[in-house]
Amino acid sequence: MTSLAEIGFVALSSALLAIGLFGILTRRNFILLLIAIEIAMNAAILNFIYFAAFSSGTAGLTGQAIAVVVIGFAATEVAVGLGIVLALNRVKGTINVARATELKL
Amino acid sequence: MILEELAFAALAATAVLTAIAALLVRELVHTILWIAIFFVDLAAIYFLLDAPFLGVLQLGVYAGAVTILLLFGIMTTRKRIFSREAATGIGPVPFGLAVVTFIFLVAAIGEFPQGSGTITIYDPSALSANLFNVNGPWLLLLGLIMLAAVTGAIYLVREGRE
Repeated sequence: MTSLAEIGFVALSSALLAIGLFGILTRRNFILLLIAIEIAMNAAILNFIYFAAFSSGTAGLTGQAIAVVVIGFAATEVAVGLGIVLALNRVKGTINVARATELKL
Repeated sequence: MILEELAFAALAATAVLTAIAALLVRELVHTILWIAIFFVDLAAIYFLLDAPFLGVLQLGVYAGAVTILLLFGIMTTRKRIFSREAATGIGPVPFGLAVVTFIFLVAAIGEFPQGSGTITIYDPSALSANLFNVNGPWLLLLGLIMLAAVTGAIYLVREGRE
């Protein structure tokens, strides 16, 4: 029977969310932005699995099932993001998001 | 269980360090290497939490598919894949937000759950039964969104689009 301190998991997912937020705010390269979003999403997935592991019964199973669905959503998001990267590179010749300003007022 | 505590401390430190390294190194290929280590590290944490199905899913989807997709994105958008990014400074606003987030996190430590919890082990067959019965609509929604996303991605990258 494994027993672990609960504070460590919450602290880890908080730190990962903060790192992802930092990356989203500071990076201008589209691929680095995608990676920062993935880090933040992994913090959320870790939270689902952590709370599922420390629960029991149907609630825990539902937590793990939601984690499976979120992992699928994240993979889909990367596929669409890379489609946008390729389109942006073809139109602008760069993947710097600061150069994509067509929709700005 | 001191061994599990030590393993978690090592894995958590590796996760944080590799996530920071992935965002701060200047060569994009090195970023992909760091993020691959980060994904494998998180899969190890899932195994530590007795969630082997999710650990394998993390290895297959993130460490496998997402990493290769990101590498593919770099290879198709650069003439030399080892070219460096221009150094981007950290502006006052993101730095201020990071400091505020850190202060909130430190202030919230008292509200975190204290003590140790016992980890529940779930049978993967029970998880699949839950996933396909109780949470079946979510799985169907995921499939529909994936279909729409793939269609949109193909539309975005197809040749000759005006």
